[in-house]
Amino acid sequence: MTAAGEAMTGSPASPIPLVSVKDLRTWFHMGSAVARSVDGVSFDIGAGETVGIVGESGCGKSVTALSILRLIQPPGRIEPGSRIEFEGKDLVSLGDEEIRHIRGNRISMIFQEPMSALNPVFTVGDQVAEVARIHGGVSRKEAWDRAVESLALTGIPAAGDRAKQYPHQLSGGMRQRVLIAMALMMKPALVIADEPTTALDVTIQAQILDLLVDLQKKFGTSILMITHDLGVIAETTSRVIVMYAGQVVEEAAVDELFSKPHHPYTEGLMFAMPHIGRDLERLNVIPGTVPAPTDWPHGCRFRDRCPYSWELCEREHPPLYQVGVAHTSRCHLAIEPERRNHPHPPLVVSQGAAVA
Amino acid sequence: MPVDPASPRQSPLGRILRHLLERPAPRLALSILTLIVLIGLLAPLIAPYDPAAQPDIVRMKDLPPSAAHPFGTDPYSRDVLSRVLYGARLSLLIGLLATVVSLTVGVAFGAIAGYAGGLIDTIMMRVLDAFLAIPRLLLLVAILAAWPRLSIGALILFLGLTGWFGLSRIVRGQVLALKHAEFVTAARALGASRRRILLRHLLPNLVSPIVVAATLGVAHVIVLEAGLSYLGIGVPQPGASWGNIIRDGSDQVAALWWMSLFPGLMMVLTVMTLNVLGESLRDAYDRSW
Amino acid sequence: MLRYAAERLVQAAVIVAFVAAISFALIHLAPGDPFSAAVDNPNVSDAIRDRLRAQYGFDRPLPEQFGRYVSQLARGELGWSFSHDRPVRDVLAHALPNTLLLMSIALVGSFALGILIAFVQVSRRGSVTDHVLSGTSLLFLSMPDFWLAILALLTFTYWIPIFPVGGAVDPVMHEYMGLGGRILDRVRHLVLPALTLTLLASASVARYQRAALIDVLPADYIRTARLKGLTERAILRRHALRNALLPTISLIGLSFPALLTGAVFIERVFAWPGMGYAVVNGIASRDYPLVVGAVILGSVMVTVGSFIADMLYARADPRLRAG
Repeated sequence: MTAAGEAMTGSPASPIPLVSVKDLRTWFHMGSAVARSVDGVSFDIGAGETVGIVGESGCGKSVTALSILRLIQPPGRIEPGSRIEFEGKDLVSLGDEEIRHIRGNRISMIFQEPMSALNPVFTVGDQVAEVARIHGGVSRKEAWDRAVESLALTGIPAAGDRAKQYPHQLSGGMRQRVLIAMALMMKPALVIADEPTTALDVTIQAQILDLLVDLQKKFGTSILMITHDLGVIAETTSRVIVMYAGQVVEEAAVDELFSKPHHPYTEGLMFAMPHIGRDLERLNVIPGTVPAPTDWPHGCRFRDRCPYSWELCEREHPPLYQVGVAHTSRCHLAIEPERRNHPHPPLVVSQGAAVA
Repeated sequence: MPVDPASPRQSPLGRILRHLLERPAPRLALSILTLIVLIGLLAPLIAPYDPAAQPDIVRMKDLPPSAAHPFGTDPYSRDVLSRVLYGARLSLLIGLLATVVSLTVGVAFGAIAGYAGGLIDTIMMRVLDAFLAIPRLLLLVAILAAWPRLSIGALILFLGLTGWFGLSRIVRGQVLALKHAEFVTAARALGASRRRILLRHLLPNLVSPIVVAATLGVAHVIVLEAGLSYLGIGVPQPGASWGNIIRDGSDQVAALWWMSLFPGLMMVLTVMTLNVLGESLRDAYDRSW
Repeated sequence: MLRYAAERLVQAAVIVAFVAAISFALIHLAPGDPFSAAVDNPNVSDAIRDRLRAQYGFDRPLPEQFGRYVSQLARGELGWSFSHDRPVRDVLAHALPNTLLLMSIALVGSFALGILIAFVQVSRRGSVTDHVLSGTSLLFLSMPDFWLAILALLTFTYWIPIFPVGGAVDPVMHEYMGLGGRILDRVRHLVLPALTLTLLASASVARYQRAALIDVLPADYIRTARLKGLTERAILRRHALRNALLPTISLIGLSFPALLTGAVFIERVFAWPGMGYAVVNGIASRDYPLVVGAVILGSVMVTVGSFIADMLYARADPRLRAG
């Protein structure tokens, strides 16, 4: 497989994907250094699909999400050559007014900080209703009614009264529901959820995730779920993309990913999860740390931390190999699978770096 | 993040100065201010005439600007340029000394209140609130009007004694916050006395608000002193302060326009550079954390 | 909210009490007594002075004097003004409305102008406009109040004579004008002093508001607003400003001292017959009771203003309102 041949990841849901990210590169230009946070990412999201992006902090998953809605501010910039196709348009090259028309309307987003994502001086209802007033061109009364409806749909009891309250009067879980209600007001085609439950209590987390899955089934919205938590992936998604060092390193259907992870990084993530019933003395940890985005290493970016790497990994940057049905992996093990039987201490360890 | 200054460190002062001089505005302000300070220092040498001399009160009074008198003469036939130059000297001196007084009192008051805490702190803060409720000018007016014919020294003292309220609040806030910092607890665990802790550990962390307050404070005092002199209760005659010069020309503002214009311009220039410096210092301190 | 109001009221009362104490201290720390200050005034004979001393209790022990002083203040008694030959209270009562007029116009004007300038600056952040406006605010901030007043006087009264030289009304013609003429006359006299004070005060409002807006911009809820598809302008106007206005409301209370101080100088330059003018003349004629009376009144005004501003703030911030 040559490096030039990037595999196409077809979506099982429909032949024409809803969103098609093609070779997205979002770089941050800070003086002399350039941080290549997203460095050539491509994936599709089908209509009605829930796709997950998983990876640790700094891998570029949040920046990817922000790039879709063109929310990257200077010194960050979506580099020319990137394309994001949605409903027949390229989001990257859209004008300001057109992208604003899409935000909150055709594509919406929820973040992980429900505490601070709501404006403290407006009522919750006003803020949700605002979406309809921007995009729906409806009267205040109608926008308010629709907002209350939306709030009720997210499971907030006594939505009509709650809508008149201010954010500081609501709990974290409630506020996240409000943000979900806001995101769904205009029945968007895609909802991007960036760590929607990370800042919430464990019990509330489950509720919110259930809500998202529920609403997705009800409205047929696609969801792009961004998280570092494999548990969330398992619960909510049908297809998973693993990101590392600004790139996609593996992509597969969720069951396949969990049962047959291919990329050593994915393997590491799986084994790092504590499992009830598994006998371990210590939690497995991937040694070393993510390299700096200003200085991606030559060749495979994971090789220093990989237990199977060899000279090819340093010489050639691996392309996305096809390793199964709708399963790709950016790892040379695809062409020399027998190396998996001969693990060695990763280079960071043998070079004396402390285990992360 | 506060630094324990009693431990070895790289010079924060050098860092601050570097940050300060990075931008063009403070660089320019610093140069202009240096120039003005030099003018003040060298006034006795560069002033063309004696600022108090009244050579010919009949024929040389109220002369508009000319080659011989670039800033004109005043109703007492004194050369305005010389008086303006000496005014720089006087105003800067008053500003500086009064600010030193304010800093001393303000820091002491605030630090004690913050460190003592409890009832003492509450009482001290109420007293502070009361003083803050009286506009500084009015307070000074009330004091100075009762004491006619005040010396410059007393003026400086009163100016200083009325200008420490704001800084003392800031210092108290900082001390309150730092009181529970780890390095303080460590010092206490080692048996350091309260005074030692205050002076050697807490005070150096207060340098930043103090320096900023000092710079801006000098600016305030200069404006205030000018105002008081303009009202007649500032620098006593025949002292050459910028406010006095404007006052001397205030009976015939239009006819003697040069007496209002030039001292005012000098004042605005001085105060502006001080303000720019003060704010840039504040920025530099914020950025260096 | 009611409890907060009660707390602040008590605080205000305590402050006024302190101010009274300080004023008392000032009067008695001054060399001699207020009546010897009138030594330059030949109309006041020794006998009258002694009588006034007795009347005011200056021959009594200090604590008793304080008691009388406080009870007098509580009754609104501020002493006797020599230069006006009337009670201080009357002089100030006459002058107060003029100062209040000036200060109110300047308060409203400076906040409106300041907020507008800040908004323009932040929506064009980093542009030439932004820098120019910043520089201009700095300039006005660094100017002594009386100097700007003098410049304004020179420019618009002498060199380009459109406005009257001073006072509140035309000293000669005012009585003979019809109602419309009289109103116009008053307005013409008001323009320069009010404009000058407004300009001076708006500089600090503009800077403060600009900083507050910039502070608010990185907030998460601003990002949420952007996500909804609002234009940057609308975000600034609807979401950022509303939050950034909160600290500005507390600025209202803080600006009273500066407005009052500014008024003193402006009134002196334009001969505007307000409290400041009275104080200045009081200084010149060594009418100490008048000066102290004005100081007390000024402090009370500032305290009341600060109290009202605090109440406004509490109403405006929903987080405080409910609690």
